[in-house]
Amino acid sequence: MDASYLDLLMAQQEEVSEEAAGGGGVWVVADVSGGAIAPVTLEAIGAARTLADSLGAYVYGVLLGEGVSDGSTSLTTSLAQTLYQAGADGVRVADDPSLAQFVSGPYLSVLSDLFEQERPEVIMFGATRQGQELAPRLAQRFGGGLIEHVAALSLDESTRTVQGSVPIYGGEYFQILACPEARPQFLTVEPGAFPAPFIDNFRKGEPTTIDVKPVEPDVRVVGPADDFDPPQVPLAQADVIVAAGRQAGDIETVKQLATALGAQLAGDRGARDAGWIGPEQIVDVRGVEVAPQMYVAVGIRGDTFHNAAIEDARFIVAIHPDANAPIFQVADMCLEVDPREVLPALLETLE
Amino acid sequence: MRIITVLGRVLDPSGIVVKATAGRIFVNREEYLLQPADRCALEVALRIKAAGDAEVVALPRGPLPDDDVLRQALATGADRAIYLTGDGFKKADEAVAALVLAAAAERLGGADLVLAGSTTMDTGQSQLGSRIAEALGCPQIIGAWQASVSDGKVQAVLRQGTAYVTVEADLPAVVTVLPGALKPRYPDGARLVNIYKGTGEIAEALEQWDASDLVDEDSLKPLLERRGQDFPPERERGARLSGTPEEMAQAVADALRERMGR
Repeated sequence: MDASYLDLLMAQQEEVSEEAAGGGGVWVVADVSGGAIAPVTLEAIGAARTLADSLGAYVYGVLLGEGVSDGSTSLTTSLAQTLYQAGADGVRVADDPSLAQFVSGPYLSVLSDLFEQERPEVIMFGATRQGQELAPRLAQRFGGGLIEHVAALSLDESTRTVQGSVPIYGGEYFQILACPEARPQFLTVEPGAFPAPFIDNFRKGEPTTIDVKPVEPDVRVVGPADDFDPPQVPLAQADVIVAAGRQAGDIETVKQLATALGAQLAGDRGARDAGWIGPEQIVDVRGVEVAPQMYVAVGIRGDTFHNAAIEDARFIVAIHPDANAPIFQVADMCLEVDPREVLPALLETLE
Repeated sequence: MRIITVLGRVLDPSGIVVKATAGRIFVNREEYLLQPADRCALEVALRIKAAGDAEVVALPRGPLPDDDVLRQALATGADRAIYLTGDGFKKADEAVAALVLAAAAERLGGADLVLAGSTTMDTGQSQLGSRIAEALGCPQIIGAWQASVSDGKVQAVLRQGTAYVTVEADLPAVVTVLPGALKPRYPDGARLVNIYKGTGEIAEALEQWDASDLVDEDSLKPLLERRGQDFPPERERGARLSGTPEEMAQAVADALRERMGR
């Protein structure tokens, strides 16, 4: 047995070394939300690891924010270490008060300077709001191609070209796109499309700090839009739906969740019987059939008619105390718990 | 003030059937719609025009086989429409389109505001708006619910976290509008007839420009290449979460947050 492997078995920590030579590499720009790395970033690092292994390249993570490089916080591992543990070989950290919240101007300037210097081969973002604002601008600036919402990756090894499958009509089928010539290749990765990588607690490394030049944001937040009333969308065309069922417990909490998510309120027949929703809000094949991006079923048991009506939903979260509820057979995320226990915590986390 | 709105078309999804088992897409009824998000962007432009003095110019979002969407825009209330043609432009992707549109804006004498849909209904691509902003070197507001112009600034309403906020940027700027953000108006019947018959003043409003006059040959080379189709595997469902209610709440919040704001 290899001695270094023995070291590993004996919980000796593995020092991740990063090659000094510049150029190339697969870079992942981290999405930090609520003081933690967004799961999509870790998934992207996992995907980048696979790509980089085939390309013979290194994986680098980029962290932007305020206080992200502070390793001495109460978090057992700082955010940069999380990136190392997920599979990054190097991490660059830009820590500045101007980066505390995502604003495209300062973020763009940091990333643009960094990539100008490092000349990556592939740059990945999560297909979140941040990624969707930054990736196209950087792609245009560097003359690179951008494949958005990548749900599956493959590699054309002869030309070192990444091929990404992009969902068409929200996932009816995929189109395979590639950027054969221009470099760097930009990708945004669909949340949940790739498996979360194995978190290896023995990987660690020393992040490199990058300088931040002060840049005035070109888009300023004026204040809350209190007088803005979101338009009433018919349920069948709504993007986000929060639906209540007989086991929802307190309808007011469900309504708060709908407001917090900017969602339309709906329900099953049980909710209608309880007088919580109107007849036009019943999700059922005999009522309204829906096709939202997100469907949160709170306390809905999910009979055949209801489950058939939500067939086209892209992402379904189900919360119901009964482990045998049929809704769990169609949901992407199942919580076997009384909604009354989890909703207040969920509302608090979302705020 | 000059407002440019960028419009595209989409094959009506209710007319197609995707059969993953056969590995084919059947087009039963070939009917094209204006991209829903672009339609909302046009509505924003027309509302700004109604509130003040503005000229609304409609441009295509990419190569189009015909100028139907531009005629619709004229009938709905746009003042001018420019149909971009040219052999080099036929294969254009978003990167090329952004350069061509920026050059077109320059030839028009500059644009104070560029409005586009935030995403396309079919390909789900949201890069065009940001790419135009970069090509013009101006600020971008992505995914707006509403936009208005006052004092040389554009104000827009965005969703941030769990609330709506107003943001502001100096003109010129690019704003992309979410699909379904507002209720778009319908084209005016008489104008529609005139624009298709080529009668009246409105017929003069539709121009045709060759894209290769606007940018050089190299810029017309698309960066992306299509390499076939693929069909998604059957979705795996029923993943159960475990842990305390707080841990579950955190996992759900992360998943929801990532999928919001597009």
